[in-house]
Amino acid sequence: MSEKSSGGRRSRLFQKEPGTEVGDELAFHLEERVREYVARGMDPEAARAAALERFGNLEGVREECAQMLHEERRAEARRDWLDDLRQDLRFGVRSALRAPVFSLLAVLTLALGIGANAAVFGVVKSVLLNALPYRDSGALVRVYGRFRDGTNEQGGLSAGTITDVAERQHSFSSMAAFRSNPTDAVLAGTDEPRVVQVAWVQPAFFPTLGVSAAMGRLIRDDDVADTARMVLLTHPAWQRLFGGDPGIVGREVVTNGITRTVVGVLPRGFVGPMGDADIYYPLNLGPTLRDPVAVRGAGWLGMVARLKPGVAQDAARREMEVIADQLSREYPRDDGSLGIRAMPIRDAMVGDTRTPLLVLMASAGLVLLITCANLAGALLSRTLSRRKEFAVRVALGAGRGRLVRQLLTESLLLAVAGGVAGILLAMGGLALLRGLATQALPSYAELSLDRGALLFTSVLALLTGVVFGLAPALSVRRSEPQETLRDETRGASEGRRSRNLRGVLVAGQIALCVSLLTGAGLLVRSLLAMTSQAPGFGPDGVLAVAVQLPSATYQDPAAQTRFFGLLEERLRGLPGVTSVGEASAVPTDVKQHNGINIVGAPPPSSDAQPFVLYAPVSDDYFHTLRIPLRSGRVFGPQDRPDAPPTMVVSEAMARRFWPGGGALGAQLRMGPDPNSTPYTVVGIVGDVRNDPARPDAEPMAYGTSRLDARPTRTLLLRTSGDPLALVNPVRREIAAVDPGVPMREATTLRTFLADRLTSRRLPVVLMTAFGALALLLASVGVYAMFASMAAAREREFGVRVALGSSRRAIASLVLRQGGVWMAAGLVAGAGGIVLVTRFVRGLLYGVEPFDPVALGAALALLLACAAVALLVPVRRATRVDPVTILR
Amino acid sequence: MFAKDSGLLQGTLELLVLKTLSWGPMHGYGIASWIESATGDVLRVEEGSLYPALYRMARKGWIRGEWGVSENNRRAKFYHLTAEGRRQFGEQSTGWQRLAAAVTEAIGSTQAPAWAR
Repeated sequence: MSEKSSGGRRSRLFQKEPGTEVGDELAFHLEERVREYVARGMDPEAARAAALERFGNLEGVREECAQMLHEERRAEARRDWLDDLRQDLRFGVRSALRAPVFSLLAVLTLALGIGANAAVFGVVKSVLLNALPYRDSGALVRVYGRFRDGTNEQGGLSAGTITDVAERQHSFSSMAAFRSNPTDAVLAGTDEPRVVQVAWVQPAFFPTLGVSAAMGRLIRDDDVADTARMVLLTHPAWQRLFGGDPGIVGREVVTNGITRTVVGVLPRGFVGPMGDADIYYPLNLGPTLRDPVAVRGAGWLGMVARLKPGVAQDAARREMEVIADQLSREYPRDDGSLGIRAMPIRDAMVGDTRTPLLVLMASAGLVLLITCANLAGALLSRTLSRRKEFAVRVALGAGRGRLVRQLLTESLLLAVAGGVAGILLAMGGLALLRGLATQALPSYAELSLDRGALLFTSVLALLTGVVFGLAPALSVRRSEPQETLRDETRGASEGRRSRNLRGVLVAGQIALCVSLLTGAGLLVRSLLAMTSQAPGFGPDGVLAVAVQLPSATYQDPAAQTRFFGLLEERLRGLPGVTSVGEASAVPTDVKQHNGINIVGAPPPSSDAQPFVLYAPVSDDYFHTLRIPLRSGRVFGPQDRPDAPPTMVVSEAMARRFWPGGGALGAQLRMGPDPNSTPYTVVGIVGDVRNDPARPDAEPMAYGTSRLDARPTRTLLLRTSGDPLALVNPVRREIAAVDPGVPMREATTLRTFLADRLTSRRLPVVLMTAFGALALLLASVGVYAMFASMAAAREREFGVRVALGSSRRAIASLVLRQGGVWMAAGLVAGAGGIVLVTRFVRGLLYGVEPFDPVALGAALALLLACAAVALLVPVRRATRVDPVTILR
Repeated sequence: MFAKDSGLLQGTLELLVLKTLSWGPMHGYGIASWIESATGDVLRVEEGSLYPALYRMARKGWIRGEWGVSENNRRAKFYHLTAEGRRQFGEQSTGWQRLAAAVTEAIGSTQAPAWAR
């Protein structure tokens, strides 16, 4: 084996073409034969003829042998290549083990860089690239209602609008309406009453999406009749609520006190466009269509549609706009200010997560680039210290190509190890994200590394290995063995070329790092601006408990009022509770926008129908949340259901609609019905920020829960102690009033608010982490550059010191040499900053894209780290002792 | 003898080449000459069979060819046995001797078969 390969490799340089080689061999044979015949006494002419004749088909033999030789050489080359690879790998592992700290650091760095990319790619892929759980989802359209003034771009549609769209459109082969938001219901019959989410959909919903049942059947047209009493389960609900009972179809369940039959189970992984739900009910628009006010006045419906073959999304969008314009003209009072907006269903479901995800992907990419530059620099200096080894190997006959291959094998080995570690890291990271990001990501996204993400990571790792291995490999190719061997003995400095290469690498790291840091700084500042603004209420020390009344047993609003009155009374008696209030929705989660008309004010022009946030609240709500009363009064016992309706408005609302004052005592109507009883404004309270991402508080109106009783409410308990200590007492009190009423998640109001910001916090946290990682890597890069620069010129410094150069002059020499590259990096970074700020602009709130604080902080942080990194090598350079060096 | 397409005799030629090279490296012409003289000129080695056989054996890894200088100072390709070639030679010569002995015995037999009696 070894005999064969070594012999083959040594002689390969002198190999001739197979044809020529065989020809030479046969020619020798013929000559020998001729010599033999001549020796036997033939004359040369005759001897040659006889020899040829004896040989026979000379050309045929030559070709046959040449062919075999050619094949043999090919096989041998393959064997040699594999031998070389095995040898390279063995050598690579050995040389990695010889420098264990370096290798470990390199693998760790790579693991972080590759892991960050794999994890973010896993998220990006599952959110933006993976197929939606519908058939041919590219042809699906989500249709929204929108306010023409831009305050709501993805709102609901009224039943009347949906009917008109269905009659007028030509773009869709099928369409279906559903309730925009799932409703809550109480499921009885399991171990304890539970709150479940109910999605309401028209029978055409599932055929439009192209979804079929996993078990049983879906919703049929005749299911919309009131007598149908059926329910469809989602796969997770079937698992969670019924333990995956295989005989579930046909089983009876009780929701909100009504017995219903399970007719089927939806496939695993199915998520409707309205979000997560546990069960599906048939939606019947009939009653709404017969209601003269609600038919056009209430926009509570969502709509999905499937495009006819050959119809483009754009065409459908334009057609919806045309229909919306017609409806605005035909029904100016209801639809004057409303538009219709169609968009691809994926865009609708991905929503606001696209930009943050792309920003994260880009940040992770920057980190990987820095990793590459860093490792390239580190390998380069390792290569420099191994110059002698390579020079000796070249002098002993190793080809340059062979050395380049050797170095690339070594870097690929590191990259593969880093890739494997990175995948493990990414898996851990995704597990962490799953817990953290459920609120921030669309509900269909499954965060896991599937085959595509693994492939992406592998390719990335190999590419990384080639990229950072290329620089040192090329530097070897250029080195001259003779000079190197001679240089080494003389102790010259590092070559100019490789010094420049290292400088460029460090400059690149600094540029990338400063861009990333600026982006992170901007996001941090935005988040701070969002969270630091006064919310308008006191969220500390408050426990929020959502309660759901079963609608069948509490159909009468008076019964609901009685229940909450009784419960509040008992809760007030709990130790530590100082105040109890309740509301249909808590600040930052108020979703209801109501259209209002001020009595006595000129009727609003058709496209200026004003909308305000609205929530019914209890008397003590303002006191409990410490929302200050500015003037007038809050609700009290006098606001009985039979008394004239009253309303409390926020300062912003008072300012907006009664700019000259006089809000107190003014009257307004809620909703589109001009004949409804008007509300009288009895109080003005402080502004509350519902959407922290908006610069100013939206106008908000409050009704009293005595009049507008809702089965779903959030109880708010202000306590003097730890709010969470009250969770179990509250549960007991609820059960004491009515054991059939389930309590939903109880959290502190603080936690609730923080959760609402998760989707904004996540990119900030991750990008900051990436920025920190980049900073660390760049600092290491700066340190390495200065250290090896100083080390390489140690001898020269020794000479300079011996010739009388001062330590200060030496220091400034080192600083000047490295400083140039750092300055170049900062200049290039300015370009990067422009790109990054443009990219994150959509995520900013309360800061300018060129925020001096974020910019300055990024620069200062980078320079501080760089200064620390270069301190050690510069000090060492100035401490050079000429005597030891020059001896 | 040793016509190109004779399968049985191809193996015999390879065995003879192995035997020749067991003495030491030799070029194609020398191999042919040695076989002829060693068999008392009973076997005549056709060049058209010998050279393909040599390349075939090189491909099988039994022998290797390397350029060297002949006894009369000419460049010639000398073949030598590899370790695998030595092993093959041992195996094949034993096999051949057993075969030859068996054939000889059968041919020299004086016992008529049953159907001839």
